[in-house]
Amino acid sequence: MPGVPVISHFSDIQGRPRRLWTQSMSWVLFLIGIFTYTQFSIIRHKENPEDRVIPSGAQIWQGIKSSVLEPAEEDDALDPGATTIQRVTHSMLWKDTVSSSRRFFIAIALLIPAILIGLHMAVFPYAEAFFLRFVLFFDKIVALSLLPILFIVFGIDEWSKIMLMVIGVGPTLMLDTYNIAKSVPREQVVKAFTLKSSNLDVAYRVILKQILPQIINSVRLNLKPLALFLFAGEMIASTDGLAYRIAIMRRHMGMDIIIPYLLWVAVLLFGIDALLRVANRRLHPWF
Amino acid sequence: MHCCNREKRILIHRDFPIIHWIAKAFCACRQLPFPFLSATFTPILALVLSVALFSVVPALADTPTFTVGWSVYAGWNPYFYMAKSGILKRWADKYGVVIKVQRFDYAASLDAFVGKNIDACTMTNMEALDMPAAAGVDSTALIVGDYSNGNDAVLARSNLTLAQLPGKRIMLVQKTVSEYLLERAMDLNGLGGQIPQLRLMNTSDSDLVGAFLGNQSNQVAVTWKPLVSQILAQGGDVKPLFDSSKIPGEILDLLVVRTEILNRPDGSGARFAKAITGAWYETVAQLASEGITSRAAITGSAAASGDSVASYKEQLRTTYLFSTPKSAVDFSESPMIKQKMDLVRQFCFRHQLLGQNIASVDDVAIRYPDGSVQGKNNRVRLRMDSTYMRMAEQGKL
Repeated sequence: MPGVPVISHFSDIQGRPRRLWTQSMSWVLFLIGIFTYTQFSIIRHKENPEDRVIPSGAQIWQGIKSSVLEPAEEDDALDPGATTIQRVTHSMLWKDTVSSSRRFFIAIALLIPAILIGLHMAVFPYAEAFFLRFVLFFDKIVALSLLPILFIVFGIDEWSKIMLMVIGVGPTLMLDTYNIAKSVPREQVVKAFTLKSSNLDVAYRVILKQILPQIINSVRLNLKPLALFLFAGEMIASTDGLAYRIAIMRRHMGMDIIIPYLLWVAVLLFGIDALLRVANRRLHPWF
Repeated sequence: MHCCNREKRILIHRDFPIIHWIAKAFCACRQLPFPFLSATFTPILALVLSVALFSVVPALADTPTFTVGWSVYAGWNPYFYMAKSGILKRWADKYGVVIKVQRFDYAASLDAFVGKNIDACTMTNMEALDMPAAAGVDSTALIVGDYSNGNDAVLARSNLTLAQLPGKRIMLVQKTVSEYLLERAMDLNGLGGQIPQLRLMNTSDSDLVGAFLGNQSNQVAVTWKPLVSQILAQGGDVKPLFDSSKIPGEILDLLVVRTEILNRPDGSGARFAKAITGAWYETVAQLASEGITSRAAITGSAAASGDSVASYKEQLRTTYLFSTPKSAVDFSESPMIKQKMDLVRQFCFRHQLLGQNIASVDDVAIRYPDGSVQGKNNRVRLRMDSTYMRMAEQGKL
């Protein structure tokens, strides 16, 4: 049977695909996705040229242009002589991105203490006794259902949204750090003490230092829950932000704006993830 | 290494024997070595199979079936009672169709209607314009059920007046009748020029009551019943500043059906329209009547949203129900409706609700029962149709 050895090569664990193969195969699913979308869009537009549920390429392009180059509806119109850069910095996409990312990064900054609490829980037995049971319990609370209380405590502006993210992701991060730190062999701690380390030396210079790459990976995995909580908060009550715009556009099926927004959010998250990945590789080449 | 893989492969095939057999048969007839399919392509095969399975289940109904979507609102809850009490079935049988009634969240019902997953849907005149009509789905308003006569209200704390609203944070669901009501309130009180200074905060209706009441610094909210009643009951110094009884007939609640269904060549769509119109007017007649039938209708409609009878009655008081076909026909054939619809369509256009790239308000045109068209003649997207209500009035159903 000629040809068969080639085919069985594909199902071989020991197979060594050539570069051309790995490159081209990794794009196949993207192409299928784009093709299916276009197909559906064409079918629906044949039936109804004004369809807004699955916008065509031209509609999306128009949507991208108006979200990147035109000011948001609630803002003042730009004077016609504005340069492209002025247009972009006054556009609704820019404005929404700025306010959403501000919330996002404040939340990430507030998660750093959570990581440290996790570390202390793992290293200091009294801290463990104090925190662990509560964090284990608190981790299981669905943060979203606390929202009415968050509104009352933190007001309806920025802080309730930021705290939603912190409360939603913080305990998970604490427990993850705790587990990772616990898996550092006890012998290392003993050895560090015999070499005259202080308590804080052991915690920060022996344990934290070697688990940091794993913690960064854990943060990377938690980017998506963070974004989910941010979106939930912004959809429920806000005056700006990426999810605010999506919620408003949904009122009249503005999918031509929503789809570019979703892709933009994906690109942003991918960018942050890539940044953390590269930073991790640079900072911890031994990992 | 290789042996582990084999064991795993065997596992997959033991757990999914059907896939195993199909894979084996496929390989046999193509003379391929069997492991070819088993390792790499098993997940793909499973996916293809499951998709095929779900798409092969056809609708094998011989009587034409129609689905009506409704969402919780005082004027729409009767659809639930209508289906549950058997009134709808009686009318559907009379016209030889099957009518299903399905409850949705409001936004989801509109999505389903525009996506053509359901055939008819309850919505306000505003959403009829900015969702299906603006998305190019030619729609017909079959039944003008009621208008909001106080159901929607602007609420404020500490004796604020409308003139003091600019600069204060206003909680509302943006781009809905709430925002329309607020702008009308400003307009009617000569404050139209200050509308751009309003600070709107888009707040989901599910969290609006809690968020508004939870914090004294939230001073203004615009919303609808029963949320209005909840806020007024617990709010202490909260007072209504303006409500929809001052703009009667502008916030209409309709039953909208896709025009292509009404015009189906086999006539089943028209039969559906007759059946649902007949059932509707029998139901509202019960609601408006006295005594035991009315009580059953009210209890049944209140149960649709889990409201108490007292609370539902309170909502009905601020809902102007067109309880006879005559009142609905008179309203939808009067010249007044054109003025009211014009206010609404101008609002939609101003807020880009007709689409980001619609150049003129006339691109989404409305056709009225007398044949006149508001907008461009070749772009009629919403038809106010009194044909079936008139049939009900004349007792021809």
